[in-house]
Amino acid sequence: MTSERKIRANRANARASTGPKTARGRSRAARNALRHALSLPVYSDPALSEEVETLAQKIVATDANAEKQELARRIAEAQIDLRRVRHARHQLLSQALSDPDYESEAMLGKKAALAIRCLRRIDASMPMPEDAMEFLSSKPEGPYKLATILTDKTRQLLALDRYERRALSRRKFAIRALDAACSAQRTGA
Amino acid sequence: MSKVSILAAVSDHSLFGPPPLLEGEDAAAYDELYGRVCAAVKPVDIIDEIYIADVVTLEREILRLRRLKLSLIKASLHGPLQNFLTEALDYREYRQGFEQNLAEILQTRLSQEQARELAHRCARSEQDAVKKVEIVLQAAGLKMNRILDQALADRAKALTQEYQRGEPRAIKQVTKVLASSGRTMDDLIAIAVNDKTGFGSDHDHLTILERIDHLITVAETRRNVTLREIERRRTRFGEALRRQVQEVEGEFKVIEKTPAEAKSAA
Repeated sequence: MTSERKIRANRANARASTGPKTARGRSRAARNALRHALSLPVYSDPALSEEVETLAQKIVATDANAEKQELARRIAEAQIDLRRVRHARHQLLSQALSDPDYESEAMLGKKAALAIRCLRRIDASMPMPEDAMEFLSSKPEGPYKLATILTDKTRQLLALDRYERRALSRRKFAIRALDAACSAQRTGA
Repeated sequence: MSKVSILAAVSDHSLFGPPPLLEGEDAAAYDELYGRVCAAVKPVDIIDEIYIADVVTLEREILRLRRLKLSLIKASLHGPLQNFLTEALDYREYRQGFEQNLAEILQTRLSQEQARELAHRCARSEQDAVKKVEIVLQAAGLKMNRILDQALADRAKALTQEYQRGEPRAIKQVTKVLASSGRTMDDLIAIAVNDKTGFGSDHDHLTILERIDHLITVAETRRNVTLREIERRRTRFGEALRRQVQEVEGEFKVIEKTPAEAKSAA
């Protein structure tokens, strides 16, 4: 049995881990779901819910029983969610790739530090050392650019990946349930 | 699936969103892959079509990432290969370059013909020519070793570029140099991926390649799960079809003729 002391400690720990404490932290956490709105259910958007209904009707006929229609709606909902996640991922990569001046934040920091060091050391009338100039004007190009973006955006991509995994799982089990329902109906008939 | 219905399936991207193509990628290649998968799987319903769209999207992603990984390794190989060739190239490989460079330098002190002749003999290590060249170079404040090093570096650079362009002669030559020094291309790849400069980003090569490998694994796993789901549905579909056929066959009983009927028929 859990001791009274342990229970008190657990309660105290739980009270200490209930999210952000500062006003800045609370305001940032409040905007979490708004970043790409992927956690919002599709039915919160009228256009998307219409798409769900259209797709559900393509999955099962309108005269199908209520159970099948509900399952079809679940599949359609997961499919539309999946499309939203993939679109968000695609936008993230496309925008970064189409930016001709794309540079990772860490690299920008390094360049700024080098520029400051060079300016402190050398006379203003003297030209910047060639290798420093080469480094400062370098930009990721070709395969390096996509590799840099994929590595820089790891956090966002992982978050999107979690949404995608959940949508895929929901869709798979809904499809299996619909297949089972159709199969049961055939056997029953 | 007919060609017309494949094209119809290809054009119906509305359900699955536009093709997930990145800058510079070929939309026609995506449509072709889509059409080929459709033709192979022959979707029977919208669920099959959803799965096919997934397989195509994931396959494109896998190909894109594999290509990216290969390009990165190939590009990062440039430095280690050039360094290796600078150390391992035989004099015969860059003698011609050395002769040309030397002739150009000697022309500032000698006539064009004399310079060429002397450079040619010096490059063939004829002792009297080497001594004469050293005297001329000394007067110009130059050293023979510097010119040799420059010729070697130029040849190593050119050979690396030719190798990366996939020129057969360069590939053969690099393979020969590697073999003669007891090394393999894998040794150079190991040096390349351990580079800490990270393809111009803030991460080292290994971190980036690991990240790409992880993305490839995720996409491959998802593609395989989707393929298994198609297979599962096909099995279920096949079983249902078999049951239907058995039921239909059961409904049609073979009515055998009684002996009397058979007699009268005869």
